[in-house]
Amino acid sequence: MKNTGVLVQKEFREHSRNFKLYWIPIVFIILGIVEPVTNHYLPQIMESVGNLPEGSDFMWPQFQGTDIFVSLMGQYQLIGILIIILAFMGSISGERKSGTATLLYVRPMSFVSYFFSKWIVINAIVLGSLWAGFLAASYYIRILFGPVAFGDILKFVGTYSLWIVFAVTVVLTLSASLSTGAAAGLSILILFVFQVLDSVIGAFWTVSPWKLSIYATYPLQGDSVPTGYWMSLTLTVVLIVLLFILGAYMSKRNASKTTV
Amino acid sequence: MEELANIPWNLIMPILVLQLILAVVALIDVIRNKRTNGPIIMWVLIILLVGTIGPILYFVFGRRQT
Repeated sequence: MKNTGVLVQKEFREHSRNFKLYWIPIVFIILGIVEPVTNHYLPQIMESVGNLPEGSDFMWPQFQGTDIFVSLMGQYQLIGILIIILAFMGSISGERKSGTATLLYVRPMSFVSYFFSKWIVINAIVLGSLWAGFLAASYYIRILFGPVAFGDILKFVGTYSLWIVFAVTVVLTLSASLSTGAAAGLSILILFVFQVLDSVIGAFWTVSPWKLSIYATYPLQGDSVPTGYWMSLTLTVVLIVLLFILGAYMSKRNASKTTV
Repeated sequence: MEELANIPWNLIMPILVLQLILAVVALIDVIRNKRTNGPIIMWVLIILLVGTIGPILYFVFGRRQT
């Protein structure tokens, strides 16, 4: 366990030096602020830059605060996950390729604590950024749209956070198993393409990790807990554990592929 | 000028400050970085001219992961 602490420190230092510790939170917060502001001033923005024909009169929908949370989640689903993939696709495969890994692998360390240190630090950065983004958004939504029940926000962010942990685990496990490019491609397939597939033909089942982001919005819209919600949560946790074990195993098996 | 006064600056200001921080951090790093992916001057222009995404593009693609 002593090793794990050292490795976690090493990860934090690395992400501080390559600025991921700073720019990822800033980007998430910017997204969180821009979403409520643009939605609130949409009529004025369209009037000044929208190129609407003279005299056109639109009925702008009356957004509730909860709608903005849902549309912000849509932004994080696209841009947020893309950032997670691009920023962390090389966390393990890049270390193997550049040869940094040799400095680590010659030391007596368990690959479980190696993988765990990466997993916990990336999750800390990403979840911290996500929560900071939602916090900034809820402040702006409160000012511009009126208050949203705190308990509902908490349920929404909690469920969505589990999906984000799942996404991080997928990216990290693929990075342990494959080269950087292949890891990026397969992550995009799993996190984006499967998401689309699930929303197109997903009516046939209720339990899947890709449904978590939809289930997360239910408390905001005042709906009761959907069937399959708890099963989806359990399935996602089980998948995260399995992926974690696979990732630790693959990072050990691929240790010999390190460039020396 | 009247239009400028109508803009809710107190709401927009945090976004501008955050974007400025992002651009400044990226610029400091691109100047100190000896080995960027591609010419340094290109990255400086991208950071300065491509708005919010410029610095992100640099951090993701411009820094050589060592």
